[in-house]
Amino acid sequence: MDTTSVVEIGRPSVPRETVWRSLRGHLKGTEYTWALAFVVPYVAVFLTFVAYPVVYGLWMGSEAGLYRELFDDPIYQKTVVNTVLYLAFGVNVKMFLALLLSGFFMRPGWWMKALLLIFVLPWAVPQISTFISIHWMLNGEWGFLNNVLYTLFHVEGPHWLNDRWTALAAVIVSHIWKWTPFWTLILLAGRMAIPLDIRDTAKVDGATGLRGFVHITFPLLANLYLICTLLSTIFLLGDFNAVYFVSGGGPANTTHVLATLGIRNAFEIAQPRLGVAAVMSALPLVIPLVIVLMRKLRTAEVQL
Amino acid sequence: MVHLTRRSMLRGSLALAAAKTVGVPYVARAAATTATVWFAQGFVQDEDVALRKAVADYEKQSGNKIELSIIPFAPERQKIISALTSGVVPDMVDSNPGEILQLYGWQDRWVDVSDVVETQKSQFSETALLAAQAYNNVTKKRATYGVPLRAAVVPCHIWKSLVKKAGMKIEDIPKTWDAYFDFFKKVQDNLRKQGERKVYGLGFQVTANGVDPYNLFMAFLVAHGGQDIVTKDGKLHLDDPKVKEAAIKSAAYLGGAYRDGYVPPSAINWNDADDNNAFHAKLMVMDVDGTLSTEVAIKEKHPEWYYDEIVTHGAPGYPNDNAGKPIPSIVGYTNGLIPKGAKNVTVAKEFLKYFIQPKVIGEFVELGLGRWLPVMPSLAKSPFWQNPKDPHLKGYVQQGLLGPTRPDYYVFNLAMAEVRSHHVWSMAMIDVAKEGVKAEAAIEKAFKRIGEIFAKYPMA
Repeated sequence: MDTTSVVEIGRPSVPRETVWRSLRGHLKGTEYTWALAFVVPYVAVFLTFVAYPVVYGLWMGSEAGLYRELFDDPIYQKTVVNTVLYLAFGVNVKMFLALLLSGFFMRPGWWMKALLLIFVLPWAVPQISTFISIHWMLNGEWGFLNNVLYTLFHVEGPHWLNDRWTALAAVIVSHIWKWTPFWTLILLAGRMAIPLDIRDTAKVDGATGLRGFVHITFPLLANLYLICTLLSTIFLLGDFNAVYFVSGGGPANTTHVLATLGIRNAFEIAQPRLGVAAVMSALPLVIPLVIVLMRKLRTAEVQL
Repeated sequence: MVHLTRRSMLRGSLALAAAKTVGVPYVARAAATTATVWFAQGFVQDEDVALRKAVADYEKQSGNKIELSIIPFAPERQKIISALTSGVVPDMVDSNPGEILQLYGWQDRWVDVSDVVETQKSQFSETALLAAQAYNNVTKKRATYGVPLRAAVVPCHIWKSLVKKAGMKIEDIPKTWDAYFDFFKKVQDNLRKQGERKVYGLGFQVTANGVDPYNLFMAFLVAHGGQDIVTKDGKLHLDDPKVKEAAIKSAAYLGGAYRDGYVPPSAINWNDADDNNAFHAKLMVMDVDGTLSTEVAIKEKHPEWYYDEIVTHGAPGYPNDNAGKPIPSIVGYTNGLIPKGAKNVTVAKEFLKYFIQPKVIGEFVELGLGRWLPVMPSLAKSPFWQNPKDPHLKGYVQQGLLGPTRPDYYVFNLAMAEVRSHHVWSMAMIDVAKEGVKAEAAIEKAFKRIGEIFAKYPMA
């Protein structure tokens, strides 16, 4: 009895040898061995340092009970609010300032270059030591800021880090101060990439100053600005240093963000899985951001 | 001339791989006498020097090799937790944090070291032996998983010079608990009258960071009669009126002192090192802080501070309770631990047996300037600890080794470690200090949370 199915009858017969050759990329003999020798280290590195940590992290944070415990924690609820505020203000104020400052630094003159050099210093210096300095500057009793206020105006300054909102504001301002120079440089490079003839033509047509910015510069920079904003949002979601070293998550654990709460849960409470779950809870926000970013990166190259 | 061909290169690579395979047994043979040891970095360099000396002496005597990593406190804690989570563990670690013994003992992750402890059992204090144990939730039994190496209590550090400046005498400090701390409120009042703008009487860590606030609260709880909050059988006694009253009094005193302006306002956000820094900056007259780190940190740079200006406890020694009875101090221990899965348990155990010999372990704490206490009462009688010219060591060793002591409560029930890491007592203090909540309500809330945490750790 013939057992060949209808599907098999309809499929064009491909010799097994052809399939094997196509799987080997049509390479012959030692060529295939060499190709494998070059590819295997990359695959091994990818599996070890990219795939394994991601899969291990997902596995660690995969228990539903962890998220129940997390959502019941009043500190987590405050942390989510803080993270949203940190993202909203930290990213947007910083990017808007960077956009304005990139225009300022387009001005000609040697002194502008010198000023730019000074301006990028906050970004260039190591962040942990600067954030610790800010923490000390804001100390209510002996901090630099309150001492200056008292010396100059005989005013007792507030205890900046003793209140949730002033402490969170201090963290956000510190982040903006630290990272605005970096994004200013990126946007400055974007502005410099706008061809001179476009700008000159626009000037001839009367598009100078604000009109030039609204009708020429910003439309051409828009995609770059959006990509920078998306990247900055992703970076900020994983930012640990500003919160940890400026406010320490205090007072009374009221200024944590997801990254610092994750570390706290993992190592201070010694529950690594709960720590991973705290960080994983940001995934519903991170994944769409990455998808939008990837799409934008594909289209951005034709904008200028 | 030799031509390098693809074939010859492949042959060479195969030969190299084969050579490595042959070489592996040599490495394995070497590992048979090598143990990897992780230890927390000291607060002063002398502590690390003391540890390195003990390790070098052991290596010389035994012929074994110890691969010692001295790691800063916080990163070591992270490294230990990461190692235990991943299963790739060293041969020995110190218990950093202290409760890690009980935490992973509960999960059956440590090697039983009762044979190591047995070699010096008669020498160890009873409290040290008790604190080396943990409840194993797999075997449903308690066992000895720690080898006591050093200890610490929470002493009171006082600026004698500020007391004098306030027109008061260190000899006038009362001996009973509340009166003892009230004394420093008067010191602050007097200093303010003299125009001192930023000096506070009390360095209470009314914060939700680190281990200091828990230690502070527990010292007050025991002093006010709440020592039976958890009994040796691991049972919680929140319904004991004495415990409740002690907790309310403690929250009221600690939070009230902050609210009334006797504690530096920044204390609400201090971490474990901030109170030390604030004390050195003479921001407060006294600090209640674990170990003698406050004193030994300045000993080399400011010997005049160490010998003349700062004093531990003051004239009366560690204060008694309000009825005049001595109070047991809660002792925290650094234990040597061997994780299950360690490659060289034998060398790790041999090293620990060497390390806990009274002569070795005694020298280890003394070379570390006495920041940590010894774990054997006989060592407290040495000239180092009884030096009459030293204003700190004698009172410290009396409080933590010769006087009445007890282990921390997480030794009896692991849930207490979670009470500490979740800063349940801190939130009660802060509620009173900053939010204007009454101590009774703050403790009611804290007790509810403690009850929930204990429910997660049922013990047979």
